[in-house]
Amino acid sequence: MAPRWSRIAPQLALTPALAVTAVAFVGSIGWTVYLSFTRSRRLPDYEIDWSEWGRQYDRLFRDAGWEISLRNLVVLGLGSALAIVFGFILAAMIDKEKRGESFFRTVFLYPLAVSLIVTGAAWRWIFNPTLGAQSFLRGLGWQGGVDGGARGGQVAFTCLAQPDTAMYAIILASVWQSAGFYMALMLAGLKGINSEIWSAARLDGVPLWRVYVEIIIPMMKFTFITCAILLSLGVIKAYDVVVAMTNGGPGQSTWVPAYFTINALSAKSNLGYASTAAVMMLAITFVVFIPLVALTAWQQRKREAAR
Amino acid sequence: MPAVSFEHIVKRYGAVTVLDDLNLAIEDGDFLVLLGPSGCGKTTLLNLLAGLLEVTEGRITIGDRDVTDLDPKDRGLAMVFQSYALYPTKTVRGNLRFGLAASRLPRDEQERRIAWAARLLQIEPLLDRKPAQLSGGQRQRVAIGRALVKKVGVFLFDEPLSNLDAKLRTEMRLEIKKLHDELKSTVVYVTHDQIEAMTMATKIAVMDAGVIQQFGTPDEIYERPANLFVAGFIGAPAMNLRPATLRLAAGRVEAVFAPGAALDVTDYPFAAAPEDGMAVIAGLRPEHFDLKGAASGPLAGSFTLPVRSTERTGSDATLYLAFAPDHLALRISPDRAGGLQPGDRVEVGFQAGKANLFDARSGRRL
Amino acid sequence: MSQISVSERAAGAGEVPVSRAPVFARLRKRITPQSIAVLVFLGMCALFFCIPLYVVVVTSFKTMDQIREGAIFALPQVWSLEAWDHAWNRACSGIRCDGLKVGFWNSVAILFPSLILSIALSMVTGYALALWNVRWAGTFLFVLFICAFVPFQIIMYPLIVMTTTLKVYGTLWGVALIHAILAMPVLTLIFRNYYKDIPTEIMSAAIMDSGSFWRIFFEIIVPMSGNILIVILILQITSIWNDYLIGVTFGGLAGQPMTVNLANLITISTGTTNYAHNMAAALLTAIPPLVVYFLVGKLFVQGVTAGAIKG
Repeated sequence: MAPRWSRIAPQLALTPALAVTAVAFVGSIGWTVYLSFTRSRRLPDYEIDWSEWGRQYDRLFRDAGWEISLRNLVVLGLGSALAIVFGFILAAMIDKEKRGESFFRTVFLYPLAVSLIVTGAAWRWIFNPTLGAQSFLRGLGWQGGVDGGARGGQVAFTCLAQPDTAMYAIILASVWQSAGFYMALMLAGLKGINSEIWSAARLDGVPLWRVYVEIIIPMMKFTFITCAILLSLGVIKAYDVVVAMTNGGPGQSTWVPAYFTINALSAKSNLGYASTAAVMMLAITFVVFIPLVALTAWQQRKREAAR
Repeated sequence: MPAVSFEHIVKRYGAVTVLDDLNLAIEDGDFLVLLGPSGCGKTTLLNLLAGLLEVTEGRITIGDRDVTDLDPKDRGLAMVFQSYALYPTKTVRGNLRFGLAASRLPRDEQERRIAWAARLLQIEPLLDRKPAQLSGGQRQRVAIGRALVKKVGVFLFDEPLSNLDAKLRTEMRLEIKKLHDELKSTVVYVTHDQIEAMTMATKIAVMDAGVIQQFGTPDEIYERPANLFVAGFIGAPAMNLRPATLRLAAGRVEAVFAPGAALDVTDYPFAAAPEDGMAVIAGLRPEHFDLKGAASGPLAGSFTLPVRSTERTGSDATLYLAFAPDHLALRISPDRAGGLQPGDRVEVGFQAGKANLFDARSGRRL
Repeated sequence: MSQISVSERAAGAGEVPVSRAPVFARLRKRITPQSIAVLVFLGMCALFFCIPLYVVVVTSFKTMDQIREGAIFALPQVWSLEAWDHAWNRACSGIRCDGLKVGFWNSVAILFPSLILSIALSMVTGYALALWNVRWAGTFLFVLFICAFVPFQIIMYPLIVMTTTLKVYGTLWGVALIHAILAMPVLTLIFRNYYKDIPTEIMSAAIMDSGSFWRIFFEIIVPMSGNILIVILILQITSIWNDYLIGVTFGGLAGQPMTVNLANLITISTGTTNYAHNMAAALLTAIPPLVVYFLVGKLFVQGVTAGAIKG
């Protein structure tokens, strides 16, 4: 079979994308992985000391900062999951109560248009201990401890200044930013549910909350799983909001893996170490990513079967 | 030299063989219809000819050129698709021009061809509209126009009328036939509709399961089907296919269906000498029956059977006679059918010489 | 469903029929207490969502004196534009104190080449993968899918080296280039999925008519791409404008987008923080994408969703 131009032309057209993928992605990943086994500091050192090839990894696993980062990753993940719950509740309410849908959607979704730096800046200001919301609430006379009464019963909105609670402030900003997005996904999922199901449940006399818990939510499990995966991937990438709100502080209490990695490269100028942290970030991403691949493949198969 | 020829075409998808050693020669000026049920391979064959699919083995020639390795646009073909496939963002004129511009014809020649095709298909007022503003029939004309402007020798049609309603379909059938007569081009036309095939074709290739069951003129296909498949596929209502046994006695050959129901087939043009006791399947077309006594010509054979039901369509009547295990379908004129009630026993005969006999085992024509 | 009850049939003629109550009551949209509760709850959530925006706006118009009084939710006593002026013209980002307008124009300058590069490349690649028979297309798509998810940090250093070699590190072109590279997998997947929906017969007809990869692309495919292009433009404009990490990594001092200016401004730990300036700066940075959002609403969500689930 003689080669046809119609076969060659598309392949030629694909070469730039291939080149970019090979060099900027595949090649770069390999490069970084290689560096993670070296002792590179400010400048790359391409020699691997085979007797101690895992040296950087050992260091990493013993680094308190990394431990904090991982812990914060989990905390941020679990806390941000509130965004999914919140998003679902908002979606369910909007879907049920059709009035004002377009208004509420506009309001709940606008945070998506805003940079995380701006979000961080705004919430950082609100959480300002002396001039922010705390001062306002105290002015209203609210006595009560937001930090567990550490200040002896007085209102303390010092979330950001306390190592234990700074992460929660970041979670709040995160939830504010992303709840609208999950709400939009949930709304799409809810609209896909046949309206006759509602009528059937109503005829059966089932209370509304049970309809949601036993019928609707299981029907939407695909949407929920998608949201969970997207959330996890987003949490792993979290960097901007940390910079804007706390810059990692107080101390290292709001460090996250992305922050740790960038810090290792820019502040500590330790290339090998940063590469190691990056490889770990990749590993964590794959742990989340594999279910997504499985999910997409399963969804694809379902679509083919329905045809 | 044939206008199009397929030589030893094999098409395989992995382990599945769709076409195996298929050979077909189409003469210049023929209107060849590839007819068959879904999945028989007719569209695959058309796409192989077009160059949209590649042959696994074999050769395709158009005229004196071997086109097996050529790109579709270099084969000198034009194709009309089932869904019309008009370019949605272009006007009708733009659709007609797209293929021409690629062939690097001078601008005025392009315009001349577009005007000619538009006039021929009566789509001149539509030239500046977009496909979304056209009706189904108009879109089909534009699709045909797009093929016409290329002024090639071979036109391919892929079930072009399936998406039209019945009335439009009849109109378009006439138009396409008229075009063919005027332009004297070679046409390869794929359809599953036998009426299209019978009315438009000069030659029909009936296909099933990737094999050409019979290749011949519409009359040949209709009057002398080559096997059971073709016999049962062509004709509406379908040919009655009844098992029978041949009985040779005193120089006469009879096909016996059941005691008392037999047909004299002495004058049947057997390919090989018939044997007594041979199991055959007799193919009897509904319109070749008639009621005894009312018939005009000689009737061979005699069946006395009870009426099961009648279907009248105004111009025709189909009589269903109970005949174990199911029924015999007859086509007679409505006035003859008038008054016949289910349960009435009628005596019917079959026109001499119109029977088809097939070997019961192989299905092939005897 | 018959409206006649059994008793009526049994009654036959002469007896008074039972009143005909329809089986299903007509469902009128009444304002139930449930509706009110839902609307109130949604209203409160809407308030929660609006608070940060309100605070930022309000603070940006206040004077530092009023801010020091501590009533964060109060309206400005005097609506002052000083903070806006300062933020735009004199705010300090690093050692340069020319205001956020520098970052603004930098962001704009980054946007255009990045959009053109990324969309051009992804569109052609998506088209080739969707509509042409390339044997290794499936594998390549899978690789692209993975690339769409890898964290930036894993390719950060090599990209720094590459941009340095190309002499674009620390410039606007460098930032634009990196944005284009990083967006390529996602955009290609989105285009590919979109083009996969084009009916095959149109491609068949085009191949029979012309067969040229590029002619078909420019004359047939591109005109059909209007819808997805808008969605992708929105996605990319928002994501590039709001980005911080790429800007700070590759922009150096000369190529800082607005978000980097803003971050520098709010994280300085020396001197007194002028919150009005910070909030004005934040608002300035947020306004362009917000304008896009309010103009195109629904398409915006489509864009973000497509970017998230890769088409």
